[in-house]
Amino acid sequence: MATDTPVVQKSADRLAAEALLAAIAAWAVPGLGHLILRRWGRAIFLFLAVGGLALTGFAMRGQLFGRQSNDPFGALGFLADACAGAFYFLPRFFHMAAPDVSRAAGDYGTRFLAAAGVVNLLGMVDAYRIASGRKH
Amino acid sequence: MRGFHPSHFWAMVAFALCVSVAFAVLARRSAGSRIKYALWSLVLFLAIGIGIAWLMYPLSK
Repeated sequence: MATDTPVVQKSADRLAAEALLAAIAAWAVPGLGHLILRRWGRAIFLFLAVGGLALTGFAMRGQLFGRQSNDPFGALGFLADACAGAFYFLPRFFHMAAPDVSRAAGDYGTRFLAAAGVVNLLGMVDAYRIASGRKH
Repeated sequence: MRGFHPSHFWAMVAFALCVSVAFAVLARRSAGSRIKYALWSLVLFLAIGIGIAWLMYPLSK
């Protein structure tokens, strides 16, 4: 029995590392965590759902919150937006229209962008749970 | 750039569709149960959204 313990421990460590890697990959690119775990359906549809929300939000000229926000709602908005991973950084690499929350569409767009992050957060948790063996 | 300005209803449909698809793929495993879950979730999103809109209608006058 004593000789089995290090093997079990190593396996648990490796499982934890893989789970962390899957969660980080799921954050970086929505669906990538599931792609690594060979959950093709979840990977494709998560990417489409998060991408659909984020791109519609950008098209509606929604606002992304930055890190330097003074009020709690701005800080929560940043946390939600940042969870969208690659989609949060899109406007930095591509020339996109500036936010316009003076119209209803822009305000809705802000909610779409936050929802993209929250949906991706659910995807990250799901990828972590699958990789750690807590979900099949 | 003008931007994309859908009506309130179509914005709600787009939002409900994306979120329903994500919920279905995360909550169910088989294709059949995912489709059922996504449709049910979409219908509930729309029905509750329209219901709340009607409840708020008197406040708009």
